[in-house]
Amino acid sequence: MLFRLTGWFRSKPQLSPEQQSRLSAWQALPSAELKTPVVESRCVVVDVETTGLNLMQDRLISIGAVAVVNGKIALGDSFYVVLQQQAASDKGNILLHGISTSVQLEGEPPVEALLSFLEFLGKSPLVAFHVTFDETMIKRALRDHLGLNFKHPWTDLAYVMPGLNPPLARKYRALDHWIGHFNIRIDARHNALADALATAQLFQVAHAQAVRKKISDMAGLHDLEKNQRWVSAVS
Amino acid sequence: MSAIHPSELAFITKHAPFDRMELGHVMWMMERMNLGYYAEGEVIVSPEQGAVDRFLVIKQGVVHGEQSVAKASDADTWLELMEGECFPLGALLASRPVASVYRAGSDTFCYELPADAFRELIGLSAAFRDFCTRRIANLLEHSKQVIQAQYSQSSVEQQSLASPLSAIIRRKPVTCSPETSVRQVLETMREKRIGSMVAADEDGRPLGIMTLHDVLDRIAIPQIDLEQPVIEVMSTQLNTLPPQALAHEAALMMAKHGFRHVLVVENEKLVGLVSEKDLFALQRVGLRQIGSTIRHAATPQVLQQGAADIRRMAHNMMAQGVAPEQLTQFISAFNDLLTARIVELECKASGLTGTPLHEGLCWMALGSEGRFEQTLNTDQDNAIIFEVPAGMTADQVREKLLPVARRINETLALCGFPLCKGEIMASNPKWCLSLEEWKRTFNAWISGGSPESLLNASIFFDFRSLYGAEHLADDLRGWLARVASDNSRFLHMMAENALRNRPPLGMVRDFVVGKENKLDLKLNGITPFVDAARIFSLAAGVAQTNTIQRLRASAEKLNMHASEIDAWIDALLFIQVLRLRHHDEVSAQGAGDGELDNLIDPEKLNELDRRILKEAFRQARKLQARLALEYHL
Repeated sequence: MLFRLTGWFRSKPQLSPEQQSRLSAWQALPSAELKTPVVESRCVVVDVETTGLNLMQDRLISIGAVAVVNGKIALGDSFYVVLQQQAASDKGNILLHGISTSVQLEGEPPVEALLSFLEFLGKSPLVAFHVTFDETMIKRALRDHLGLNFKHPWTDLAYVMPGLNPPLARKYRALDHWIGHFNIRIDARHNALADALATAQLFQVAHAQAVRKKISDMAGLHDLEKNQRWVSAVS
Repeated sequence: MSAIHPSELAFITKHAPFDRMELGHVMWMMERMNLGYYAEGEVIVSPEQGAVDRFLVIKQGVVHGEQSVAKASDADTWLELMEGECFPLGALLASRPVASVYRAGSDTFCYELPADAFRELIGLSAAFRDFCTRRIANLLEHSKQVIQAQYSQSSVEQQSLASPLSAIIRRKPVTCSPETSVRQVLETMREKRIGSMVAADEDGRPLGIMTLHDVLDRIAIPQIDLEQPVIEVMSTQLNTLPPQALAHEAALMMAKHGFRHVLVVENEKLVGLVSEKDLFALQRVGLRQIGSTIRHAATPQVLQQGAADIRRMAHNMMAQGVAPEQLTQFISAFNDLLTARIVELECKASGLTGTPLHEGLCWMALGSEGRFEQTLNTDQDNAIIFEVPAGMTADQVREKLLPVARRINETLALCGFPLCKGEIMASNPKWCLSLEEWKRTFNAWISGGSPESLLNASIFFDFRSLYGAEHLADDLRGWLARVASDNSRFLHMMAENALRNRPPLGMVRDFVVGKENKLDLKLNGITPFVDAARIFSLAAGVAQTNTIQRLRASAEKLNMHASEIDAWIDALLFIQVLRLRHHDEVSAQGAGDGELDNLIDPEKLNELDRRILKEAFRQARKLQARLALEYHL
């Protein structure tokens, strides 16, 4: 509770004029057109690593993101940043994401890291697996460090995949289940960039499946996701 | 800003050629790569997509290359690519469409580098460039398929003569038991609308065949009892081939012996029937028909027609992309038939047939015809060996034979084989000799070693019997093998002579070209292989005259590696492909067979062909180096 209060009463973050103008430039970009087919547009698949799984308390350590441009993952159009921490996360957590204390302390200053992320993202729609987690962590960091109210279209593969594969919906919950099912190999699980790449490959599979059901754009995937949220809620 | 995860880098650098490339170059490449996903069964690259636009490396999954475009899904898979493998290198380098359909065999992810970046990388990274060049050298075999596929694009449905019979068999053969009545068999044939019936025993072993053609001769005219067992009227001399045999072997069998059907038999059991129609559905003139026309021709006019048919067939086959080895075999086989028939007819016409002179006459093919390597623009090279009957002298026999030989040479000329400018023909008294005279002549060349002797040796030592008393040619061959292999001085001189003709590889530019910036594919490309193979075969005492067979047969005796030999043969065949393709292009522009030359402009070749040609010339150099080593030159 104490954390939330300090959050509320914390003064608006101080940005340099240069940082402020970068933020304004991003805000001025036209928003994404969700009805453009995936094969003619860019979207960004994102994954984050944090100090823990507590949405309110834990902090963002790194962001990994890859762009899917015209249906293909553009390896050169990818992004990874480690945010500089005041204090490193505890040992067990380090073992999980593999970002050592020194690296955590040496990361990019959060304002710079987050501005770079926004600039990489542009207004392309976002895709993740278990959006609530990634969205909350990114949203909170953007509010705390940039004073930005981040409202962005997201697609959640944790709902899209069951929606496209009803027979598997009961069996599979986690990202590992789905990437295992489609034989997507991941050599460095729990690294934000490697996870984002695996998630992006899963997105490519989802997209190919969706096309067979005449769904070809983000708006269609959002509808599918909405239905599946309802199915999951009542079943 | 871009970020490539170390694990991606680790994956790609596990595989050739990325494992040998500078890390900076690999990073440069990866930053420009896309990762594409292909669901199982999805087409990744196909000929319809036009010139290949990207270089692909399989990240995970399996990719199948399929040869037939029309029925890709049930076509035989002939290429399977796995994780870390790159494709389609050849088509990309040559900026042309792929020849086969590449399809995801399972859910597949591929790294994809756009074609522009691929070309830039070749300029950037020597290791990558080497890989592409070497891969292509190893891919000579593959390139032949590419060329063939390119040629047969217009008739995708058409079976290539290089396909195995198993791919041509359309349905299970209809068989009957040998005891079935003739009437029953005829009714079944009419009912099922089939042209032939095979009788087989209980284990499926074929016993006899009857075709509609036999009905007239074997059933209708003799008016046999239709209730008797069919086996009694069937032909029981069966021509069989295994399913792995190639279509051209079946075609050759039909043409040589005049059959219409070949039984496909595996483990003694009948598995299919291939008819002439199956092989040449689209060809205007059947091979067997040409063969039969020639065999039964009675006048020069009919033979001329047969010769024209051979040429038309050869052009057809060239257009279909039949492999050079098969094509030259075909041409040689038919020219043999034609020549043999001409010799036979002229011997008859001059009253020679039935005399001891005819018994002891052997008509020989020399030069490229002797090597079974004829193309469409070969003039005649022939000679006669004869036996001297008791009571006659060699000169007396010669006097009788020369006018006949003259007529044969002239008829051959009428049929499109120009008279030899160097007078290397049987009608020349110098080349119409008795066995003893030949041995003396050969011996003089072997021990003499003048430039003229060496030149003669290179033409005459490729002799083989084409008509008549074959044992004379065999005798001469056996004698030559013994004498030549013992005479290292002669072989040394032959080798020295052969090495004067260097493959035209330049230090600065790719090729050293002659006047008008042209390469002579025959002189500079093929001759070095032919010459070296002749010397090896003489040294090893090998009786074969065909260059490829000579190389294979000499290899064992001279301790040469099979892989080395294969590389030479592939190189030779590739040059032969280019040469035949050049002939085909020139004749398509309306040139007559007599105007066909072997000169090509290397600048006009595409990137891939130029690289392969360069590699082929390099192989020719290796072969010459081997020759030099053998003879301390």
